Order: sequence, then C-alpha cells, then structure tokens
Amino acid sequence: LLTLSLPVSVLLLAGERILASAAPICVHGQAGCHFLSLADLFDRVIQHSARMHSISSDLHSEFEQYVLPSRNHIGRINRHCHTATILTPNGKENAQRLAREELTEVILKLLVAWKDPLWQFHQNMVHQDDFNNFSSNKALEMSYMVHELRKGVEKVADKMQHLGMISNSLSGLSSPEALDTSSDTSGESQAMSDHDLLYCFRRDSNKVQNYLKILKCRIVPENGC
Amino acid sequence: MMWRDVGVTLILSLILPVVAQGARHTPPGKPKLTSCRSPDKETFTCWWEAGSDGGRPTTYSLFYHKENSETVYECPDYHTAGANSCFFNKNETSIWVNYNITVVATNALGNNFSDPVDVDVVYIVQPHTPENVTVGVLEDEDGPFLRVSWEPPRKADTRSGWITLIYELRVKLEEAEEWEEHRAGQQKMFNIFSLHSGGVYMVQVRCKPDHGFWSEWSTASYVKVPDYIPRERSMWILIAVFSAFIFLILTWIITLNRSSVKHCLLPPVPGPKIKGFDQQLLKKGKPEEVFNSLVVQSFPPRSTDYEDLLVEYLEVYVNEKQELMPEGKDLRDVGCLKSKSQSDNDSGRGSCDSHTLLMEKCGGVESKDESSYEEPELLQGQAGSWERLERGDSQVVDTPDSSDARVKTWPLVFSPSIHGSSDNHHYGTLEMPKQHSTSEITYSVPDHLFPTSTSFPHHHHPEYRDSLGEYSEYRHSRSPSTGVLYHWEAQHHPQAHSNFNIRNLERQKEATGLGLPPSRSMEYVEVQKVNQENQLVLKPLSSHGRGPSQVQFGRAVVDYSKVNGVNNDNVLLLQRQREMAEAGQYCDYREKEGAEAERYPTQQQGKTTKDGPVATQLQESTCLTTSGYVDTVPTMPTF
Repeated sequence: LLTLSLPVSVLLLAGERILASAAPICVHGQAGCHFLSLADLFDRVIQHSARMHSISSDLHSEFEQYVLPSRNHIGRINRHCHTATILTPNGKENAQRLAREELTEVILKLLVAWKDPLWQFHQNMVHQDDFNNFSSNKALEMSYMVHELRKGVEKVADKMQHLGMISNSLSGLSSPEALDTSSDTSGESQAMSDHDLLYCFRRDSNKVQNYLKILKCRIVPENGC
Repeated sequence: MMWRDVGVTLILSLILPVVAQGARHTPPGKPKLTSCRSPDKETFTCWWEAGSDGGRPTTYSLFYHKENSETVYECPDYHTAGANSCFFNKNETSIWVNYNITVVATNALGNNFSDPVDVDVVYIVQPHTPENVTVGVLEDEDGPFLRVSWEPPRKADTRSGWITLIYELRVKLEEAEEWEEHRAGQQKMFNIFSLHSGGVYMVQVRCKPDHGFWSEWSTASYVKVPDYIPRERSMWILIAVFSAFIFLILTWIITLNRSSVKHCLLPPVPGPKIKGFDQQLLKKGKPEEVFNSLVVQSFPPRSTDYEDLLVEYLEVYVNEKQELMPEGKDLRDVGCLKSKSQSDNDSGRGSCDSHTLLMEKCGGVESKDESSYEEPELLQGQAGSWERLERGDSQVVDTPDSSDARVKTWPLVFSPSIHGSSDNHHYGTLEMPKQHSTSEITYSVPDHLFPTSTSFPHHHHPEYRDSLGEYSEYRHSRSPSTGVLYHWEAQHHPQAHSNFNIRNLERQKEATGLGLPPSRSMEYVEVQKVNQENQLVLKPLSSHGRGPSQVQFGRAVVDYSKVNGVNNDNVLLLQRQREMAEAGQYCDYREKEGAEAERYPTQQQGKTTKDGPVATQLQESTCLTTSGYVDTVPTMPTF
C-alpha cells in the first residue's frame, strides 16, 4: 500500500505549487519519492502563509473602502476575535521564549480555529451583494489556503519530530484540539461581523507567518535569517 | 459728576484691556497625532503637533489604552524621541494589539483632546536605512561591473526572523538626472552591468519590511568606473573595418572589369537580323530604299506547284508595220488598252491583258513614257516577232516606233515589285542576238512563272485551229516546247512579276534571216527553254520547223479571233472576227463577264491559280482593232 501511494503522492507533490502538504515526505529517504529538506518545507509553508496574509489584507482593505463607510465604527473598540482565547506571544521575546513545540502548536491552533469561520464567511459573501465576484473568489481561496497551510505545518511538525528537533508532544493536536477550539470559538465566531472577521483574520495570518519565520530561523537558520 | 464718569471711563478703559487680555487665554487648541512609527517592531514612537496654545503654557500628554481593555495608560517617555513625541519601549509595546492613542493638550484654562488613533505596531514598521553600503568595481570577461553590498539596519532583527526586509537600490551617473532603480529582494548584494567607461556613479539603498514602510535612502556612495573599450564595440569596429576593406576590393575589381560586368548585367539588345536590312540605310531615313532592299529576290518563294502557273502561249508575231501602225494609232486613239494595273503595281496583272496586240500598241505609246524602258528593237517589216514585254509595271510596252515591226507588248505579268528585282527584268526590249541564226527570244520570266518542276499543260484548241488559219495554239509550256503561245496564267503569287521581258533576240534585220515574212507576218516562237535567268529562250518556229504552218504571214489567210477577254473562269472570250484587221473594227468588245462573244474555253489553265486567277479584264472602253488574230491572253492574276 505504501508503494502504491508513493507514486501518487509524487504526482500530487509535483502538482502542488505552493504547498507540498499533499505528498508524504520521505523523511527516511526512501527510494522513489521526492526528498524535501526541512528548510525547503519551511520555505514552502512560509511562502504559503505570506500569500494567505496578502489576500486577507486585500479583502480587509476592500471591505473598509467600499463597505464600511456605510456603517458606523462604534463597534470597533469592542472588537473581539474568536481566537483571543488562544494564547499567542505578542512580542519577539515572548515568541522566542516559547519552545519550538509550543510555537508550532500555537500555529496549528490558529490555523485550525480559522478553517470554519472562513468557510462560513465565504458562504455568506456569496449570498450578499457587498462583495463582488473577485472578493468572493478571494474569500474562497483564503479558506482553502488555511486548510492547506495547516496540513503543511503538520507535515513540517512531523518532519521535525522525525528529525528529533521537537518532541512528540504534538501528536495529539489533530482532532481533539480541533474539536475543542471549534467548540470554544464557534459561538463567538457567529457574533463577529464581517469586518471584524476580516480584521481578526488579517492579524492572525500575520501571526502565523511571523511564527513560522521565527521557527524556521531557530531550527534551520541557513538562508534568509 | 462728569468728572466721575470720566474717571470711571478711564479706569474702565484701563482695566478692561487687562481683563480682556485675561480673556484671550483660551484652552489649548486641539493637538493632532501626526504619525507613529516603529523601527524594529519592538518599540514605537508617536508624534503629534500642537494646536494653538491659547496664550498660556500648554502641556501635552498622551494617553492610550489597548484594545479590549479599559485601562488607560499614559505615555511612558516623552523625551527620548524629542519634542511632542511619545516613545514606547519594549516592555510597553505589544504586537498584534491595537493601541488607541489620544493626546491631550492642557493649559491653565482647560484642555483639549485630540482625535484618537488606532495603531497596530505591526503595520507601522519603518526600518532605518541599510548600513555599510559598499560599492566596488569588479572585472569579468564582458567588462567592469559594480558590486553593491550593504547590511540591514542595526535595529531590525532579521536574524531571528522577526523582521523580513526587502531591499531596493538606485544608481545613476553623477551628472545624470534620473535614477535607475533595482529591487534586490532579501539579498544584501547586487551587481550592476553595462557601465559607462570612465563615469562616476552614485548608489543608494533602502529597505522595507514585508508589511510596512520604506526606509530612507542611504547616503550616496560614489564610485568611479575605469576607462575601458567594450568588447562588443571593438568587435563591431573590427567587422566594420573588414567589410569596408572587402567593399573597396570589390569595387576595384568591378571597375577593372567594367565592360564585362556591364555586358553581363545589361546584355546588349540584339539588333534585327533581317536579310537585306540595312541599318545604315534606315538611319539615313529613306524608308523606300530600305524596304526595297528587303525584297528578297527569292521571294516570293518558289512554288513547287507550277501547275498553277499556267502560261499560255506567248504569241509572238510580227505585224506589218503599216498595218499595225494605224492600228496602233487607232489604238491610241481609242485608247489604249492598257491594263489598269498600270497604276496599280500590286495587281501583278499584266499591264495589258489579253488584247495584247492592242495593248502593245497601247503599250507602245506608254512605253515611251517609261523611263526604264528600252526601246525594243523592232523587226522592221519582218516577221520577227517582237515582243517587248515590259516589266511588270504593267506597262505594256510597245514600241511601235519602229516601223514595221510591231511590237506587241505583252502584258506584263506581274508586277510592280519588279522594280527591285534584278535588272534582268527590266527591260522590255527584245533583243535579237545577231549572231544567232535562229531568233531566239528570250523571255525573262520570274521563276515562279516557270517553275521548272512543272510543265504547263499543253492544250490544243481545235476550234481555233479551224477558225484560224493560223492557229493560235494555246499551249502551256513552260519548258521550251514547241508551244509558241503562252498563256500566262494568273499567278497565285501576289508578287508574281510579270517580269518577263521578252527579249527579242532577233533583230529586225535578222528576222528576215529567219525567213519570216516581214511585218505583218506572225511568227510563232517556240520556247526552247528557260534559261537560268528565267529567260525564256524562244525559237521561232520557223527555225524548228514549226509544226503547223502557223506562220502565215499572209494576213489574209490568217484568221485570228480576237480575244474579247477572259472571264472569271479563265475563259478566253474570243471574238469571232473574220475580217481583216482593217476591215472591221468591231468593237464588239465586251465586257468580260457579260460578253456575248462566244466563249471559248481557253486552254485550260492547267491549274488555275489558287487565288483564282483572273485574267485581266479587258477594258470596256477599249475597242479592239480588227486585227483578227487571237492573241494569247495572258491571264494576269488579279491580286
């Protein structure tokens, strides 16, 4: 089964332009599969997160430019992102003080927390007239990217674990965590307005990108650090 | 009282300004936050500008509170960043947190709040300029190039990955106006190529975080490029010199071989190759001569079928002058039966048609006009047959001058173009060689008339024989046979020239030697042969022992029928006339076709010419003299 899945995974990997999350990584250097170094993996996920953040910034700007003037700004101060419950380092020292595993965990938490709200947002946008088709496509792409980025980060974590760089405490991150976070934030996410959602997501995507960069320069500091 | 009012007014006037002045002090104007910047994403500074101070010393204070928190904090540091600024250090700076900042201006009279500003440090990052910008000139095979290198600003922590900077540099020649900008990405080194040799360049670098503001340009670095010749230019110079050299050589070669090159490129136009065409003659501008020269002697081509060239018998006879003369005169009076073709050179008709006798006379009249005409020698009262055939000018030549000999001009056969032909055909004189015992009459006939290959059919017309004591035989004979009479069939060649000149080789005097009766006797001549010059060599029948005793010089015996004409069927229209010449002048002469005269089919013309030879029509006007003989009617082809 593994041998059959490997060629398929290679094809998927070749087709994957942004993230190599679909293909299994040959951590052990098996023959017949494409070997990606950790640095390459990091570069890929960082690129992916950068693109995700730029899309979210565009959407937020559009929203503020075209939609917001018709509404009041009173609710801004009381903005409350549903991911506020996730403790994230708010500074460089704070981020550097975190362990690799914790930092990776935070990243994954954030990505997990945003999957459903973004999908919901996209669904809402299709039915609304606030956004044009271009924005709707961006929202769709955003939700898709979150999903892909999460899988990529999981791959990186697996690799790091294989390389012994991090401990295996992350293995429990998959479904239980996701369920927890979604359950925690599900109620709150519904209360968010579209503008708040975009604002929050823009910020969180920036955090993800930054954390990944820190992680990369801490673990594989060869290029660009 | 009035003094008191004045005093109060004075006092009031003194006090009021003071009071009023106190009233000018107002609460401070509204301050305004101008910008907040973070150089490293770890600290940040905000600046504000003061409003009006209201006349009183005003203090400014900055207050902020973080998002989702009501705790208001005041700016920790007002001095580090300068006046009207607030510096947030690391401990107080939280990233990804929204700061709500407000500046308050306070003076003795009141305070004034600025508008709040939301600040997230992540989005206000503006790094310092890159440091240690170095520019060096390096060499490689293509020439020198600039290498610029720099370092990130000290404060920005790129090593930990906290900040990611992208760089940009710009270059220009010192004297140039516009900068040339290049994006360098995250690299800290850049190469610049294609330099002006000997120029001085200025280089500047700046940077920006991935989400933030551009830094200021670094201070300019100057660099001088050494002098050099670009390899590319030197190669082109070499190519240009080489090709110029080759071009000169080619030009020289072509100049040496100018003529042959010209001959090759512009081949000379071949001139016309027409036989007999004389270009010089053409240049002189005499077209007639030129075109005449074009007439080839051999043209028209000899027909192999000489059947068409039916030549009737040539009737040569010598008439008595006396008899003939009046006739001739009559003829002249009446009008000469001159073929009209006289004026028509193209007709090829004999100038005189069948009434040859008559024509002779006519011709004789005209002949004198002919310039090229030679007076035939006439047999004087001899039976010599004189024929003078005028050349084809359709002039029936007749030289009846001489006395007795009647020269009959044979209608010349054809024509006109004989001008250019050989001189042989020119004359119409009959010359009689003296030396010959027999009179030979040479007829010059064009080749086409007497093609050697064919022989004329030989016909007898018994009728004539009967009617005529002397029968006129119409015989076609080409080669010299015994035929005397020739009937020339119309020529199918348009240019059949009736250039036969019958030369009467006999002189008059000699004619007597022939035993021919003088003058009015008719002598048949036998064509002996056709010599090379297309001359019919005739022999008088007498010499050869003419068969039929045609030679009857007795006039009375002779009964000739005049030929009225030849109709379209090449039928000789004979006129039955038994009378002597003098006796009757029957101008029964009719028109050819409509002639009532009996028609006697002339001898068959072998083959009529293809064009349907038409005998020259006798002229209506002419009236035949009653010569009573039948002349051969040369059928002249009318063309």
